[in-house]
Amino acid sequence: MTIDLENINVILATDCGSTTTKAILIEKVDGTYRQTYRGEAPTTVEKPFANVTIGVTNSVTEVGELASRQLTNEDGTIKQPAKDGDGCDLYISTSSAGGGLQMMVAGVIAEMTAASAKRAALGAGAIVMDVISSNDKRRPHEQIQRIRELRPDMILISGGTDGGTTEKVVQLAELIAPAKPQPRFGSEYEMPIIYAGNKDASDEVQKSLEEDWIDLAVVENLRPKLEQENLGPARDKIHDVFLEHVMAHAPGYNMLMDWTDADIMPTPGAVGDILQTIAKKDGINVVGVDIGGATTDVFSVFDETFNRTVSANLGMSYSISNVCAEATMPNVLRWVHFDMDERQLRNRVKNKMIRPTTIPQSLESLIFEQAVAREALRLAYKQHKEFATTLKGVQQQRTVGDTFSQQSSGNTIVDNMKLNLLVASGGVLSHAPSMNQTAMMLVDAFEPEGCTNLAKDSIFMMPHLGVLSAVHPEAASQVFERDCLIYLGTCIAAKGAGRIGKPCFTWSLTGDVTASGTSNFGDLDLIAMGPEQTGTITCEPAKGFDLGAGNGKKVTHEVRGGTVGLIIDGRGRPLGLPTDRQECQQTISQWVENMKLYEEMEQAVCTA
Amino acid sequence: MKTHTIPMLAIATMLSMVSSAFAFGAAPAPPSNVVAVDAPDDAGEAIILSWALSPNDIFGTLESDTQATDPDLVVSVYYIERRTDSAAGNGSISEEDQGWQQISESAAGEVTTTDRKVQRGWSYSYRVCAVDIQKETSSWAATEEPVRPIMQPFNMSKAWLAIFMLMFGGLIAYFINVARSGKKLWVRPIAGLAAIDEAVGRATEMGRPVLFVTGIQDINEIQTLAGLTVLSRVAKTAAEYGAQIEVPTCRSLVMAAARETVESAYLAAGRPDSYQPDRIHYLTDEQFAFVAGVTGYMVREEPAACIYMGGFYAESLILAETGNHIGAIQVAGTAMPSQLPFFVAACDYTLIGEEFFAASAYLSDDPLQIGSLKGQDYGKFISVLILVIGICFATFASMSGSDENVWGASKNFIKDNMLGSAGLLPTGSGDTDIEGDDS
Repeated sequence: MTIDLENINVILATDCGSTTTKAILIEKVDGTYRQTYRGEAPTTVEKPFANVTIGVTNSVTEVGELASRQLTNEDGTIKQPAKDGDGCDLYISTSSAGGGLQMMVAGVIAEMTAASAKRAALGAGAIVMDVISSNDKRRPHEQIQRIRELRPDMILISGGTDGGTTEKVVQLAELIAPAKPQPRFGSEYEMPIIYAGNKDASDEVQKSLEEDWIDLAVVENLRPKLEQENLGPARDKIHDVFLEHVMAHAPGYNMLMDWTDADIMPTPGAVGDILQTIAKKDGINVVGVDIGGATTDVFSVFDETFNRTVSANLGMSYSISNVCAEATMPNVLRWVHFDMDERQLRNRVKNKMIRPTTIPQSLESLIFEQAVAREALRLAYKQHKEFATTLKGVQQQRTVGDTFSQQSSGNTIVDNMKLNLLVASGGVLSHAPSMNQTAMMLVDAFEPEGCTNLAKDSIFMMPHLGVLSAVHPEAASQVFERDCLIYLGTCIAAKGAGRIGKPCFTWSLTGDVTASGTSNFGDLDLIAMGPEQTGTITCEPAKGFDLGAGNGKKVTHEVRGGTVGLIIDGRGRPLGLPTDRQECQQTISQWVENMKLYEEMEQAVCTA
Repeated sequence: MKTHTIPMLAIATMLSMVSSAFAFGAAPAPPSNVVAVDAPDDAGEAIILSWALSPNDIFGTLESDTQATDPDLVVSVYYIERRTDSAAGNGSISEEDQGWQQISESAAGEVTTTDRKVQRGWSYSYRVCAVDIQKETSSWAATEEPVRPIMQPFNMSKAWLAIFMLMFGGLIAYFINVARSGKKLWVRPIAGLAAIDEAVGRATEMGRPVLFVTGIQDINEIQTLAGLTVLSRVAKTAAEYGAQIEVPTCRSLVMAAARETVESAYLAAGRPDSYQPDRIHYLTDEQFAFVAGVTGYMVREEPAACIYMGGFYAESLILAETGNHIGAIQVAGTAMPSQLPFFVAACDYTLIGEEFFAASAYLSDDPLQIGSLKGQDYGKFISVLILVIGICFATFASMSGSDENVWGASKNFIKDNMLGSAGLLPTGSGDTDIEGDDS
């Protein structure tokens, strides 16, 4: 379908989540695209409605009422095109309803082709249920049993370089046929299997998977050479199959697909797309996080390489117990600056787990929840770093100078010093009572180094903009910059360690705000700098500290303000907290005070 | 004046002749102060005998007030005789030994000797006489009391060795215990060993074999044995991944050992059916014929991973360059310093010396081996620390120009006591090393 981009003035976008369907309206105001109204309604993919379009119509109706614009026809369909103040020119949608896209992937070696297959699946917005490989230490019967137990929406098979192993790839295919995995959407559903492995093995793989319940698609090898990763064709195919098979079998999606002007995308895939678009356009490195109740998604774009991880057991409600178990209670407790024993903490965890939809009702509960969030984010980011690596199995080029410093392949590409923008979304971050709290959770968990802009997705608009970026990149970019992100401010942090109270770096700020000072090790300061204000900061780190130019070298950064301001972080990296509980409490209290985290709330409590 | 001169010369000549005739029958003065003591720090198997030099020994202290020694009386050697006074237990003394028996001679200037032909618990007397160049012997100087060699339970000259041994042994035992208790001991990551899985994985993905060369030395060389340890791990990984492994050898015994190693590895991986003994084969003992065979195989079959672990000589660069040319991941390990630069430049990963020997502990993850490795590392660290401290003391002593200060004393303590055999603490006396005298 050809879309005339010049004549698009009103864009309607929906995101069908598991519980809520969110709709936004984007309008051209004074020649610029702006997000104007937002509405939401419960998702209706489950029984008794069993039709996703009902929820879509409800959310769109709400937006229409707010905008005084009729966006739906009498039969509930989307009114197009925009005419006489009603309808819209473009309608797009994403979906993660019904658990999103669930996939199983397989590859010959877990760290090579299987890892690439996992990256392709995650990048396309899927949840990877399991990774089967020749070296996963499971016997063939165990692998078959596992495949049988899983109920994936589709399977991605990779393995072998072009001209490489055929035997191992065919063995993988031969595991799937006898396992006969049952799809989630009934017995009529043909299991889509995408083969993206050694091209020489495709005939034999096809022969092995000649079953009437299998719909096999063959695409280009995602590792044609071990030195090269080619994820594009596999990702595109996953997207196509998602639409043709998964969406077609989900209740009401056939109708929704007819309404939309662009393909429906899995929500995380759309978020990844918008982050890639922005990173490419501005030439920056971006990390995005979406922390939910059960899972935490981390997205990163470093040097135009996109990676996404889903930490399935790190979340703020259903998975909160797991966060506490993985992080350990003392680690959670270290972020709490008042007396709270472990027993009290455990009670709060269990309460949150059995009542996942509750929100904190007291200051203590809020502080506790934010402490857990810091640990969940920290762990999710750690997992992301371990996954987002350079390719393994690649030949190295050496010189004699490498004798004592032989770096291995598979190192993480995530470098906090190169990070330019850190974007937060998800309940605990987006709905924190104060933006300062959101900023501090990000800084404490991600430990950005050098100069990093902090932002949050105001109303979780990134999925909508992700789809929009595929259709109308200019509109997506304009809305992203003006309405999607709320800039919290900039964090200036030095890498290194020192003694408490000793100078960490000196700084001097010029521009809309003028200030200067010395940040001692352990200090955390906040400089007021509004959202529209910008400046230039010159920092001179002490010996042993690095702000991006090297150890002890002077550096200059352009900074922008935000709702929080400029954070001068002299706590060093990696961030260390005192091991003594009393000392730790005092330290955190000082930081809380300096960052004015709970000031207003404490005053409100006192007044009440 | 003429008539007086001639008789004077004649008289002098005559006096000289008379003097020579008198000295011909004279003997040198005997040595004095003969002392025999039981040798310390031994099993009662030696007695140390010492004496003061004869006044006619030209190596003795010059005393300007006394007359110069007559050249004919100069001591050339000392005779040492021994008599067995009593035996221990049921031992009996032979008739010969009941009298004085010469046991050794010491050259002029020597003041001590060690008699190592004694029996523990028996008592002996000694006597020494000086012999001049005319073979005239002095009177005997004997020990005042018999001496009895006895066994000392501790050889205190090796006290520091015992301390170091206990310390290193204790460290090893401690770390083994820690490792067994389940605590994860940190061992410096060795990129080359971590890359083995990656290399075998690459071979599996590319459907090509893994080439393993154990060097060109025989099975009795430690480097070959270390190479076989790594081979065990590589073979196990290959078995798990389903990759083919090719092991050409340069020695027939190495082939036999390699076959055993690979077979065990396949068995441990639960894949004994995949083991192919023909892939571990002997080529030739000749260095360059072997290299030609291996490189020919590399060019023809293009293995995806080449692993060289063992002792290599000039063939190292030929192998590594060929492997680089065919695009293989290469991991090398050798303790040959001269070959290391070639391996480092041409291979992806190289194990250097100690890393190569530590490989078995690193790869096995066995608490016993890891604990032992950790303990040894601490031992080496302590040794290096002592050497560095000794160097500092020696430097300061040298700068101060004298050993008679704290730096010199410290340096001597480290050199003589800790690293030498002067006992636990400085004695303040001279050289007590009895090893140097084996007369």
